Amino acid sequence: MDPAQRSQAISRFLLQSPPGEINDVLNDVRNIISDDESLEEIVHPALKEYNLAQFIVADVPGADHNSIVSDAARVNGEDDRFLDPRSKTSFRFDHISLETSEPEVVEPDAESEPFRVALESSVLTYLAAHFHDGTASVFADPQSSTRFIVQIVANKYNPVNFWSGRWRSEYVVDLDAKTVAGRILLNVHYYEQGNVQLETSHQSSITFPPTITPSNPSGSASKLLALIADQERAYQESLSDTYHEMGEKTFKGLRRALPLTRQKLDWDRVLGYKLGAELSASKGVFGGGS
Amino acid sequence: MAELVDSMLDLLRRLPPTKIEDNVSALVQISPDYADDLLGNVDQPLKLKVDKATGKEYLACDYNRDGESYRSPWSNEYDPPIDDGTVPSPKLRKLEIAANEAFDMYREMYFEGGVSSVFLWDLDDGGFAGVVLLKKTLSPALPSEPSGSWDSIHVFEAAERGRQSHYKLTSTIMLQLITRRESSDGRANNTTGKDGDAWKHDGEVSLSGSMTRQAEQDHPIQDSTSHITNMGRMIEDQEIKMRNLLQEVYFGKTRDVVFDLRSMEDLEKARRQRELQKELVGFIKR
Repeated sequence: MDPAQRSQAISRFLLQSPPGEINDVLNDVRNIISDDESLEEIVHPALKEYNLAQFIVADVPGADHNSIVSDAARVNGEDDRFLDPRSKTSFRFDHISLETSEPEVVEPDAESEPFRVALESSVLTYLAAHFHDGTASVFADPQSSTRFIVQIVANKYNPVNFWSGRWRSEYVVDLDAKTVAGRILLNVHYYEQGNVQLETSHQSSITFPPTITPSNPSGSASKLLALIADQERAYQESLSDTYHEMGEKTFKGLRRALPLTRQKLDWDRVLGYKLGAELSASKGVFGGGS
Repeated sequence: MAELVDSMLDLLRRLPPTKIEDNVSALVQISPDYADDLLGNVDQPLKLKVDKATGKEYLACDYNRDGESYRSPWSNEYDPPIDDGTVPSPKLRKLEIAANEAFDMYREMYFEGGVSSVFLWDLDDGGFAGVVLLKKTLSPALPSEPSGSWDSIHVFEAAERGRQSHYKLTSTIMLQLITRRESSDGRANNTTGKDGDAWKHDGEVSLSGSMTRQAEQDHPIQDSTSHITNMGRMIEDQEIKMRNLLQEVYFGKTRDVVFDLRSMEDLEKARRQRELQKELVGFIKR
């Protein structure tokens, strides 16, 4: 394996890490590679990609809330600096230790800020109502004062009982186009004497009614969140249906709980049947048998 | 060395079961010296092969592999052919033929389709070991229907002790279920904003994994075919147990975690109600 392929393979291992297990995966990779110097060059960019894609949560320096580290949170032109719009703070983020430092005050865009604040307030109300351990961030698109990105992440890590889970959702609100484009991503890992993973992806979009306008931030924001709440509730219900269908139909279609006779096999007769069938076939007299 | 293989196995226990083949092959390329140790300790989805002599399908895994060739349980031939491929002793081959027939019937009764294969090999201490493989794949007729696969790998060892035999069984079941959903499929999740359009959506749900369990039992033996009935019952019981467990874990546990991440009920409302209740209880007590 040439070095380029090797580093690609290592990155892929890290990017596939289940929720809350990135350090375990990293330890395994370190043991397997045991050449720490070349490994660090591969690990840093891979962890960065992982953190951004997984909506990793950061402690905002000086604030009593967390914020999401993602592509939307990146501060333009500065590597590893991320924005928490809620506290109007940017900070440096270490992708390996997950620690934050060097806070700086960021002046928000005056044009988009009123709507962003209204949207953030509705999102936080929704977050408290439906997520046990959730974090949400609402970003204004620096390129357009009428475009906003809502991100939600909820994590549950329970290594003692061998499971972990992550919910991610994202909604891009475009007030000009009057659209919301969303996605929900779910990962659950259960690994007691085994390795079972749920992975779901869900994309959605909607054109919203003309009553939602930039000129009425708080009314519009709560209407938008009502739409989002509706969509997430419906998604969870459809997931329940999918579970039911897979558990009832697909699972049964793969392997029955018991044979059609509703009894376990009579193994003595299984051998007997086969022997009988063989005998009749070899003699060729008794036809197809009974 | 053992540590390195342990790290590889731990890694594979964490990474998505759907990617196991790619990840195993990457690990083998990263550390070729440990390839045999790794391949001997990790279960991968079974590959379907066709026996050229009989036209019958069989299953390929590490247990019927010799170099790059796989032995068919039906014709006892290696594909691609090799001159000195390992085969069971004539006596054990007879038992292997009977076991294949018996588990073919088991497969039909429980899986109503799919493919089975049994491979036996002689052990140095005079006993023998074997593997019973079962695989079924569901291919949907429509894209909106779920697809899935079931792979069973039952590895066992038999040691005769007079009129008894001691059996050690290690069973792994790999299960994969995938459902795709779109707004156009007419089922749930078409919500409408009050005076706006409905959400359009599409998505995929993938539930996959593997689970391993072990069992050890003693059973009486009359003749060599007793091994088939004894192993048959043990494997049947283990598969029934594991099927129930899979149902619990796949559909119960993972669903619970999802509903734990996001609550359908309004948590704030529930919190307020609890507080109100507390107040009422306090009021009544007074």
